[in-house]
Amino acid sequence: MNAPDRYERFVVPEGTKKVSYERDTKIVNAASFTVEREDHTIGNILRMQLHRDPNVLFAGYKLPHPLQYKIIVRIQTTSQSSPTQAYSQAIDDLDKELDSLKKGFEDEKTRFEEKLRQGY
Amino acid sequence: MTEKMMGGAGASRTSYQRYPRVRIREMKDDYLKFELRDTDASMANALRRVMLAEVPTIAIDLVEIEANSSVLNDEFIAHRLGLIPLTSDDAMSMRFSRDCDACDGDGQCEFCSVEFFLSVRCDSDQTLDVTSADLQSTNPRVCPVDVAANALSSAADGYDSAEQKGIIIVKLRRGQELRLRAIARKGIGKDHAKWSPAATVTFMYEPQIHINEDLMETLTLEEKRSWVESSPTKVFGIDPNTQQVVVVDAEAYTYDDEVIKKAEAMGKPGLIEIYPKEDSFIFTVESTGAIKASQLVINAIDILKQKLDAVRLQDEESDMKELTSHLGNL
Repeated sequence: MNAPDRYERFVVPEGTKKVSYERDTKIVNAASFTVEREDHTIGNILRMQLHRDPNVLFAGYKLPHPLQYKIIVRIQTTSQSSPTQAYSQAIDDLDKELDSLKKGFEDEKTRFEEKLRQGY
Repeated sequence: MTEKMMGGAGASRTSYQRYPRVRIREMKDDYLKFELRDTDASMANALRRVMLAEVPTIAIDLVEIEANSSVLNDEFIAHRLGLIPLTSDDAMSMRFSRDCDACDGDGQCEFCSVEFFLSVRCDSDQTLDVTSADLQSTNPRVCPVDVAANALSSAADGYDSAEQKGIIIVKLRRGQELRLRAIARKGIGKDHAKWSPAATVTFMYEPQIHINEDLMETLTLEEKRSWVESSPTKVFGIDPNTQQVVVVDAEAYTYDDEVIKKAEAMGKPGLIEIYPKEDSFIFTVESTGAIKASQLVINAIDILKQKLDAVRLQDEESDMKELTSHLGNL
C-alpha cells in the first residue's frame, strides 16, 4: 500500500542533483560524494578504481538504506591530489577501460564469427 | 607555490586504466560463454548487474481489455502478456515513455511504444489455445520472440516444426472470447523483471590448480583413485598409461575444498593447491531472446558507460570548489 513507486529507484527527482559533494570539516583532502539513484554497480567499480590510485589514502562507499536510493562515496587523498580529482580520474579511467573492453569484445566477436564461417 | 599546487591538482593526471582482454568460447544467438581477463571482480560484477537489471528491452506494459470471458481474470492475463519476451533490437534507440516529449505523457506515441491487438474467439467444441502468435503487432520489428524465431526458421527450412505453438496466454472453451489492446514500452529489469533481457548471467573465477607431483607420487594407485573420487565434480582423472593424476577439467571445480580436506585426511597436506585467479573470469550469458546474447554484453558496456558519464562531477561545481579550496589554502 505505501510501497514507493518502482521508478523511484532510478529516476532522479526534479530539483535534485545527481552528484553532490561535501568536504570533510575535520580531515584535509577528504570528502563525501553523494550519488543519487545509484547502487553497488557504480559504487563498487568506483571504489576499486580509486584503490588503484596511489594518491588515494581511503576510498569507500556505502548504500545507507535499501529504500534511500543513493550511495555515499568517501575519498581521502594525499596532498598531491584532491578528492574531486581522484573521483574524476577514476571515472575517466573506468570509461576508457570500458571503451577498450567494448572494442576488444567486438573485435573478438567478429574474429569468432569469421572462425565459425570458416569451420563450415 | 601556487604553481606547484596547481600542478598537483591539474597536470599530474596519471592514468590507472586497465585493458581487459576477451576471448569468446561459444556463441549462439541466446547463449554466450567468454573469458574476461585483466580486470577485477568489481568490473565483472558491474557488467553482470547491468546485464540483468539495466539493459532495456520492450515488454507489454499496459493492457486495455475489451472483452474477456475466459477463465482467467483481466489482471492475470495482463500479467501473462507482460511476461512474453518481445524482440527488442530497437530498444536501445527507443525512448522511455517518461522521457518522451512527442506524446502528451500518456506514453502511446510511435517513439516510445508499440501497439498490439489480440482478438480470439472459440467457436468449436475443442479447447482453443490463445498464444503469443495471436498477438498482432503494429510494428513488424517488435513481436514475440518465438514468433520471430519461427518465421525465420520456417523461411529457411521450408517446413513447420512441431514446436510452433507459441507461448500460451489462456485457453478458451466454446463461446469464450478474448479481445484486447496492449501497449508495449521500453523498460529495464530494475523496474520489473519482465524487462530483463537476461535469463541468467554468471561468472566464476578461473581456478589455478597446482598438484604437488612429488607428494602425489608417494600415493599408491588405490589412494590416488580414492582421492580423485573425493571431488564431487570431475576435476581430476588418472592417466591410464602413466597412472599419474591429471587435471581433467579445472573449471568443473566448485571451490568446495573437498579434495583439500581429503588430502589432509590422508595425511598429505599440501598435496594440492587451488586458488582463484583474481583477474580472470569465465562468463556465461543466457538471453531470453529479446536481444542476442552478444548484443546484450555490448549493450551492457554502453549502459555502464552512460551510467558513469551521468555520475561525473558537473564542471562548474568542481571548479568552484577546487578554486575555493585553493584560496583557503593560500
